[in-house]
Amino acid sequence: MIHPLPYQDQKPLGAADFYFAINATFRFIRKTLGEEALKTYWSDLGRTYMAPVTQQWKHGGLSAIAEYWQAFFAAEPGAEVEVNVVERGEGPSSQMSLGVDSKRLAVILEVRTCPAIRHLRGNGRDIDPGFCQHCYYVSEAAALPAGFTVRVQGGNGSCRQTFLPREQAEDPQDLHDIREAS
Amino acid sequence: MIGCYDFCGHYEWTFEWLRQHGGDSLVNKFWEEAIGGDSQRHASDLIKEKGFAGMAAYWAHTLAEEGAGYVATKNPGAFRIDMHDCPSKGFLLRNHLEQYHDYCDHCIGWIGPMMKEAGFHVHHEHNHCGQCWWEFRKITDPTPASEAGTLAGENDVRLQTDWSSQAKPKDKFDAATSVQEKK
Repeated sequence: MIHPLPYQDQKPLGAADFYFAINATFRFIRKTLGEEALKTYWSDLGRTYMAPVTQQWKHGGLSAIAEYWQAFFAAEPGAEVEVNVVERGEGPSSQMSLGVDSKRLAVILEVRTCPAIRHLRGNGRDIDPGFCQHCYYVSEAAALPAGFTVRVQGGNGSCRQTFLPREQAEDPQDLHDIREAS
Repeated sequence: MIGCYDFCGHYEWTFEWLRQHGGDSLVNKFWEEAIGGDSQRHASDLIKEKGFAGMAAYWAHTLAEEGAGYVATKNPGAFRIDMHDCPSKGFLLRNHLEQYHDYCDHCIGWIGPMMKEAGFHVHHEHNHCGQCWWEFRKITDPTPASEAGTLAGENDVRLQTDWSSQAKPKDKFDAATSVQEKK
């Protein structure tokens, strides 16, 4: 069975201080290359570095998306995230019976506690105001070639991220729906 | 979201992205300003305030969190690290990730300028295979790098059988404070 995380470490959890570097990287690119370059960086990262993730999503559909995010947040220290699969005619369900994909319409991530914002805030770091936008740009670039799209609502510590088939998305992402981080 | 679990993967990918958008000079600037001056400012604060004791405290925390295989040696005039199993380079090797031409340069890329600001310089060597050694001394101390085994005894990574068995040439820095001082 293919592991949902294409890049694996020997330890089960990441080192939280790396969130400092992620935040500093965004700030550096914005300052030296500009806002548009930062968006390009995020999209390039989603399209190329995450290409193995895209392949898993392309072949495994929403089940693979749900499995990926379950495994992803299990490895992020301090994350409190519920991964729900929404099936036709049903509300969100956290009871995932992975393997049958035809009835599934969306995967919803209820991010109760964003591990990055939590750690940055807990250590008194200035958070790049556009920090939460990276979730949209990176995931959208990874999802599109697999036939999916993402919508992000909220931010600054908690948010909802909805992954759904592209043809089911009625409106594009409204960036105003993503809160500035502070 | 990009996370901290596979951080070393997208960190290394970022070096190459930056190089393509501004050359190696932009990568060097990134290491010095974004990593040394922003991300790792807690290291800088500790080392400026406590010197060798600050180095010991910083690396004890961060290398434990990252799961490194290393030995730190305290000496009256130097602080030494022998890295036997770098968690960062090890992650890249195990996952076959190599976008940038020399990932290992990132460490001295941020540590060198930070040490200079704190009044220290660095003797350092890495073999591109997850092993390296560091000796930090006061910037006014002309003592050359130690001979293998004299400071760290049997823990000196240079005494390991696989230290020199790699195909790639090693990179060395003597009394350096920047990545540009590679020998």
